[in-house]
Amino acid sequence: MELNAEQKIAATREQVFAALNDPAILMQCIPGCESLEKESDTEMTATVVLRVGPVKAKFKGRVELSNLVPPESYSIRGEGAGGPAGYAKGGADIKLLEDGDGTILQYDVKADVGGKLAQLGGRLIDSTAKNLSGKFFAKFCEIVEADLGVDTQATISEAPVAADSKAGRSLSPLIWVVLGAGVLALYFAFS
Amino acid sequence: MNDQTIPPAAERAAALQGLGSSRKRVEDARFTQGKGNYVDDIKLPGMLFGDFARSSHGHARIKSINKEAALAVPGVIAVLTAEDLKPLNLHYMPTLAGDVQAVLADEKVLFQNQEIAFVVAEDRYAAADGVELIEVEYEELPALVDPFKAMDDDAPLLREDIKDKMDGAHGPRKHYNHIFYWEEGDKEGTDKALAESDVVVEELITYPRCHPSPIETCGCVASMDKINGKLTIWGTFQAPHAVRTVASLITNIAEHNIRIVSPDIGGGFGNKVGVYPGYICAAVASIVTGVPVKWIEDKIENLTATAFARDYHMTGKIGATKDGKITALSCNVLADHGAFDACADPTQFPAGFFSICTGSYDIPVAHCGVDGVYTNKAPGGVAYRCSFRVTEAAYMIERMIDILARKMDMDPAELRMKNFIKKEQFPYTSALGWEYDSGDYHTAMEKAMETVGYKALRAEQVENRAAFARGETRALMGVGVAFFTEIVGAGPVKNCDILGLGMFDSCEIRIHPTGSAIARVGTISQGQGHATTFPQILASEIGLPAEDITVEEGDTDTAPYGLGTYGSRTTPVAGAAAAMAGRKIRAKAQMIAAYLLEVHDGDLEWDVDRFQVKGNPEKFKTMKELAFAAYSQAIPGIEPGLEAVSYYDPPNMTYPFGAYICVVDVDVDTGVVDVRRFYALDDCGTRINPMIIEGQVHGGLTEALAIAMGQEISYDAMGNVKGGSLMDYYLPTAVETPVWETDHTVTPSPHHPIGAKGVGESPNVGGVPAFSNAVNDAFAHLGLTHTQMPHDHWRVWQTAQRLGVTG
Repeated sequence: MELNAEQKIAATREQVFAALNDPAILMQCIPGCESLEKESDTEMTATVVLRVGPVKAKFKGRVELSNLVPPESYSIRGEGAGGPAGYAKGGADIKLLEDGDGTILQYDVKADVGGKLAQLGGRLIDSTAKNLSGKFFAKFCEIVEADLGVDTQATISEAPVAADSKAGRSLSPLIWVVLGAGVLALYFAFS
Repeated sequence: MNDQTIPPAAERAAALQGLGSSRKRVEDARFTQGKGNYVDDIKLPGMLFGDFARSSHGHARIKSINKEAALAVPGVIAVLTAEDLKPLNLHYMPTLAGDVQAVLADEKVLFQNQEIAFVVAEDRYAAADGVELIEVEYEELPALVDPFKAMDDDAPLLREDIKDKMDGAHGPRKHYNHIFYWEEGDKEGTDKALAESDVVVEELITYPRCHPSPIETCGCVASMDKINGKLTIWGTFQAPHAVRTVASLITNIAEHNIRIVSPDIGGGFGNKVGVYPGYICAAVASIVTGVPVKWIEDKIENLTATAFARDYHMTGKIGATKDGKITALSCNVLADHGAFDACADPTQFPAGFFSICTGSYDIPVAHCGVDGVYTNKAPGGVAYRCSFRVTEAAYMIERMIDILARKMDMDPAELRMKNFIKKEQFPYTSALGWEYDSGDYHTAMEKAMETVGYKALRAEQVENRAAFARGETRALMGVGVAFFTEIVGAGPVKNCDILGLGMFDSCEIRIHPTGSAIARVGTISQGQGHATTFPQILASEIGLPAEDITVEEGDTDTAPYGLGTYGSRTTPVAGAAAAMAGRKIRAKAQMIAAYLLEVHDGDLEWDVDRFQVKGNPEKFKTMKELAFAAYSQAIPGIEPGLEAVSYYDPPNMTYPFGAYICVVDVDVDTGVVDVRRFYALDDCGTRINPMIIEGQVHGGLTEALAIAMGQEISYDAMGNVKGGSLMDYYLPTAVETPVWETDHTVTPSPHHPIGAKGVGESPNVGGVPAFSNAVNDAFAHLGLTHTQMPHDHWRVWQTAQRLGVTG
């Protein structure tokens, strides 16, 4: 499935970018997220419990980041599996655009879903994705906008700008996936 | 010695409730009170439950299967995988089509929801919990879902188990994903005739993959009695005897040590003809554990793993003279059989009776060819409420006739009338070799057109189109005409067999001393009303009231051998066996009567319920009296008792036909198709029970509505099955179902003992093209040639939009 959308956030690109890199924030924002760990600067693993219609399952997955251009853009690829419930794989391209004092976050997600999840049909997956991304952003905006604090600033200020620098690039792919769509969400779940 | 007041023959005949009586269904007393006994009602002491872990992928290599976590679930007894079945040589099983099918996936999965592991547990909850914990590691492979790409040079290899076996069950295979090529007719002559025709139309007519979807899913209870070595399997089997023979061949258990029982069955429609992995796994699990094991599918499993139907991609080409006389027909079919060829067709007919595709028309020359291919989809290819591939053939020809009519600017009914086989041409041998036993098509079509006021409907349609053009209405009226000829009642043993078993059928009758009877038949009802109609046939043959005759079927230990119920074969074959067995009873009764009345048996004549002395009707013996005499008197030269058995090998198929007319109003802005009127005239020969026929026609038309308007099992590019639950798969309820008008003509089959032809499947065969022709007809004046089924709201709206008439 494919999903393109954008979200306006009342924070700077640097703040948003940093928050997206913070596993603790991501964990709070991703619905059903039970664990989220950085394996390296560009890899993360996560466990997410998702329910799509009658299918409820724990997805385990990993995501990898690439094309990192902080604080402007990056890409994520990932896959995850939820046992008999199915699996997902795909990716997302994320861009952060300046919008006055705030940031517009654009995401373009492409994901394939298989197994029981896919059998349930697009209707449920789409609506679930929308629901999950809504919940994610509500929480994300709440945290970022309420807590434009020292930590985030510090992280940003430390983040290298050079494209080849590895530091500070670990945006959570999970998030994106989740954001992206139900599918993403699902997909993320694993990731 | 007899009472002088003999009731008139008509009165006595009515009391028997024989042929032609709208006798109420005797089985409904238990069904309507919830007292049916279905397989899931069977509960045996110590019974375990089995459930499958299934593939998430359409095509993948299995790298590992970890069953440790599942085995740790409290209540889980065992987990079977292909590795466990291999030592028994049961990891593959033969299909009815000469292929083999993996019972549990062997190293590879070939379709989504394919069976991988069988979890056996103390209850179904524990089994389900165990299934959730089976860990399968896959290496994903590219899925092949488009049958048109199956034979590409770079197509993924699906069946590694037979990749070097280029000689298939039905001749050479052209490609590693090819199954068979089958053809009939004169290709050269057809090509020549088409080239010389004034008008030729060609169209790809797709009959989408759908599923019979009976309300009751497939299931079984297997019980191995280790003391006496007998395996009993209760299950949803449309052909219990064939299942017993197949079970014996694949397990090496002697056939007398296997008992197959079909209890009440909640609808079959072809879905319950095949042999499924669940049956094998339940039997193996029972043999291993020594206790009974039950396996019952859920609805998603049923829709996605056991026996789909159709998936025929038919390129029809039809030629005609400029005045509308058809000159030739060719049809090339690509048949998507899924991952294993598990079609349930007679052995010599890998494409069933598709060659009935010349339909009801006198077509001088024809050719059809069918290529079967493997794809990453569920296996099957069963006849969903139709005789083998007959509904595909009828749909193709009935759409092509409409397309030809449109091209020639002729009325589709008129074009049909012009090309019908004439009454005096029967028996008629078609260009593709079938001998049509009887028919009177013009009479049926004329009656249908007159009843619905066909001319007035067409006049109204002209008005409707003008009003639509003026913007006064947003609904387009469509009139769909279909005239079908079926070929049912398989069939003659000389050319019809399943796995070598001739497709005869049987009936065994025992008359009890007090004049009641039990009849056992080789078939099995799935709702058709056998317990009601077989006694009616017998009542007319042997003169005992239908209510005094019990029917028993479905238990291989007691019923005579028969090939089961599907393909509208019960009345043509087992019904004939019942009549013939009845005649044997009557012949013996005549000898007894001659002895009792002290006359020569040639001096007796049969009269409804008795033998009477010719010219002296007051001297008679009723069948009831003769039955008692058979058990109470020593009659020289005649054995005691009154029983008979008949195994009936039909000399030919039967050819029911019908004229259906459907009127729809299509809302171009929503795509909603409102069925305003549906008229179905069926000619099934002699009518045994008109009420049951009407019920059969109502049910069949409702399934035809479902198929034409919404049913589809599709796959996405990854091999994910779509439409595998009732959220997506269309089952019409009373809300969506229109009022059906039924009618009939009667043209008895000349070779059937009572002239009956079979009717249960006709409405599906004729209904689908009638609906589809109506929807296509609604848009015909806008330039539409053909739009594919199903005609759901979305597709109909898309058609309207493509033609530029949406708001």
